[in-house]
Amino acid sequence: MNLAKVWDKLKQVDRSMFASIFLHVLVIGWGLVTFATRPLEATPVESMPVDIISADQLSKITAGIKTGQKENPKPLVEKVAEAKPIDEAVGKVAEKKPPVQTAASEPETPKPVEKPAEKKPDPPKQVAEEKPKDEPKPLEKKEPPPKVDPIAEALKKDESKKPPPKPQAKAAPPPPPKPKQDYKFDQSKITALLDKREPTRQAATGTQLNSQASLGTSRGNSVTLSQSELDALRARLTKLWNLQAGTEKPEELIVDIRIRLTPEKRLAAPPEIVSRGTSPRYQAAADAALRAVLQAQPFDMLQPATYEQWKDMIVTFDPRQMFQG
Amino acid sequence: MSVTFDRLPPLPLTRRDALLGGAGAAASLLVPAGALAQTRLQVTEGNVAPLVIAVPNFVAGTPADAEVGANVSQVITNNLKRSGLFAPIDPAAFIERISNIDVAPQFANWRTINAQALVTGRMTRQGDGRLKAEFRLWDVPAGQQLTGQQYFTSPEYWRRIAHIISDQIYERLTGEKGYFDSRVVYVDESGPKDRRIKRLAIMDQDGANVRYLTRGADIVLTPRFSPTTQEITYMEFGQGDPRVYLFNVETGQREIVGNFPGMSFAPRFSPDGQRVIMSLQQGGNSNLFVMDLRSKSATRLTDTPAIDTSPSYSPDGQRICFESDRGGRPQIYIMPASGGGAQRISFGEGSYSTPVWSPRGDYIAFTKQGGGQFAIGIMKPDGSGERILTSGYHNEGPTFAPNGRVLMFFRDPPGNSGPSLYTVDISGRNEQKVPTPGFASDPAWSPLLS
Repeated sequence: MNLAKVWDKLKQVDRSMFASIFLHVLVIGWGLVTFATRPLEATPVESMPVDIISADQLSKITAGIKTGQKENPKPLVEKVAEAKPIDEAVGKVAEKKPPVQTAASEPETPKPVEKPAEKKPDPPKQVAEEKPKDEPKPLEKKEPPPKVDPIAEALKKDESKKPPPKPQAKAAPPPPPKPKQDYKFDQSKITALLDKREPTRQAATGTQLNSQASLGTSRGNSVTLSQSELDALRARLTKLWNLQAGTEKPEELIVDIRIRLTPEKRLAAPPEIVSRGTSPRYQAAADAALRAVLQAQPFDMLQPATYEQWKDMIVTFDPRQMFQG
Repeated sequence: MSVTFDRLPPLPLTRRDALLGGAGAAASLLVPAGALAQTRLQVTEGNVAPLVIAVPNFVAGTPADAEVGANVSQVITNNLKRSGLFAPIDPAAFIERISNIDVAPQFANWRTINAQALVTGRMTRQGDGRLKAEFRLWDVPAGQQLTGQQYFTSPEYWRRIAHIISDQIYERLTGEKGYFDSRVVYVDESGPKDRRIKRLAIMDQDGANVRYLTRGADIVLTPRFSPTTQEITYMEFGQGDPRVYLFNVETGQREIVGNFPGMSFAPRFSPDGQRVIMSLQQGGNSNLFVMDLRSKSATRLTDTPAIDTSPSYSPDGQRICFESDRGGRPQIYIMPASGGGAQRISFGEGSYSTPVWSPRGDYIAFTKQGGGQFAIGIMKPDGSGERILTSGYHNEGPTFAPNGRVLMFFRDPPGNSGPSLYTVDISGRNEQKVPTPGFASDPAWSPLLS
């Protein structure tokens, strides 16, 4: 008897229980499904940032990190310098003709780092004028006249390391370009100026890097080459440089190779070993380094604008890091 | 077994090469000698990868030499591949067929298949019955001959010629001495595990040309090669106490080393081959003695109430490393070759035994026991830089290749099977089984034959 009553009560309870359980399951199930679907949607979003990073940005970032530890202010200066030219370029476009003049003056300020290299190209300038294709060269022509003043100013500014002075320097260079305004009136010359804008971007990047390098490193010459170019060259050689496992005494196997290149980015002469060693192990290491250089042709990662910097290089193959311990 | 050789001159420059060279020289004139400010680039990372090499069949000087030409290139390919430092290309990928080694190969054909180096050669039976072997080693990216040699020998020694050429290639491309033209003496084991027949055997380092030196009536252990002669010293025991013997590989002559009461064991030659250092049993202990093989005089080096054994000379003969349990567990000690104060150099967990000094002098290899495992390792003579190369159920008895870059040891797996020989690079890479006809243990590497 009691069992039957209990059973009946249970049945009553069961109905409400079943109802509540059913509803709970519904709610939780809905929640599970909806929450489960959301992460699925999120996954593709995560892949987006990967595309944004370019080789140039990566190399610049890493370069900043490497040099940043010792001298923090210098990398900061670099970033500022980069941002400024971009703003200027935009402004120039908006202002049309007057900004074009400033653009010509701007590249000049950064170029001071390259001083010796750029001055040489003077003869090519004439050629460039005749041929509109050589855009970078015309830029150089305009640069040399202002160079003298801006160089000294730029150096002083670099020493001060203060970003504000730079704008002043830029203001100073504009006066020399003013005579150039006369040229603007000629329509043909205006088109030449328009063409120059694209090269100015390249030159600007190069010049900015130079200014940074002069601030941050003692190697004034290498600075002119963009870090991305050097990194790409280094990456190519790293990929092709083959060493044996278990190499002992790697400090005896450091090889310096002088590489001279043609503007076509190929070797102008057989690579020349400039370090010295006589042991068979050194000879084998030198051969391995030479193989890497020979196989790296053509050096497509180098930009024509910086030919003066990479036409004659010394590459050091140093295996010590690979075999420490 | 005489092998004579000459250096093959580099090929004369072709007209095209001369033009290229001229262009290069002209270009170098255009560049100012002291370029003011050069861009400098540091490359500090590379690939630790085997060097890709192509070894096409050696050309047959006469139609009858085709087989030996193919065999020689096969042995060279096998040697280079086993070293772990080279990656020979499958001949099926070759584009160009080498038919004349006196003409520079078409390097573009070999660059296409990513060859870094190319070996061309020719085998020619001479009128006097001798075999002439020629080879040239080419740097493919540079398009230059790196080395070239020619050898004359009896036709039956074609395999040795292949080993010698392998050593030439290895030396030129790595800068280190080769080790292919060498042999290994070991203990061949056959029969059931409780009644093993142990014979002394000798073979080429690649496992070919196995020859048995003893019949197996008595047990033989710990054979060691003389660094200077074709002699072996080993321990043998039959009816009486274990004794140390000398054995001449060429003549088969055998003699006992000294006549000491009690056991004598763990012998090893001095670097000049004039002395044998070994352990003599004295009661429950053993001490180290050195015996001059000419004067037959023995000198005591240690006198301790402990077991001192497994002595091995440094390559300059100035010091000795050995195993002793004077501190409790077996450890490795170093002392002057004339005896005197010993210094312990092994301080890791477990016990250390069978130390052997590298022919290069830079490492001491050992067997390390601990945690139920036997490991093969190396450490520097000052005890630093200990590195375990391989470990497992039972690994023992390391011996160095003549160039000190490779170790051979034996591994005994659990169960009823038997031991086998293995090689491993001192970097711990490239472990390889050495093919032997039967079970094999206690290997000892010979010096280079030439």
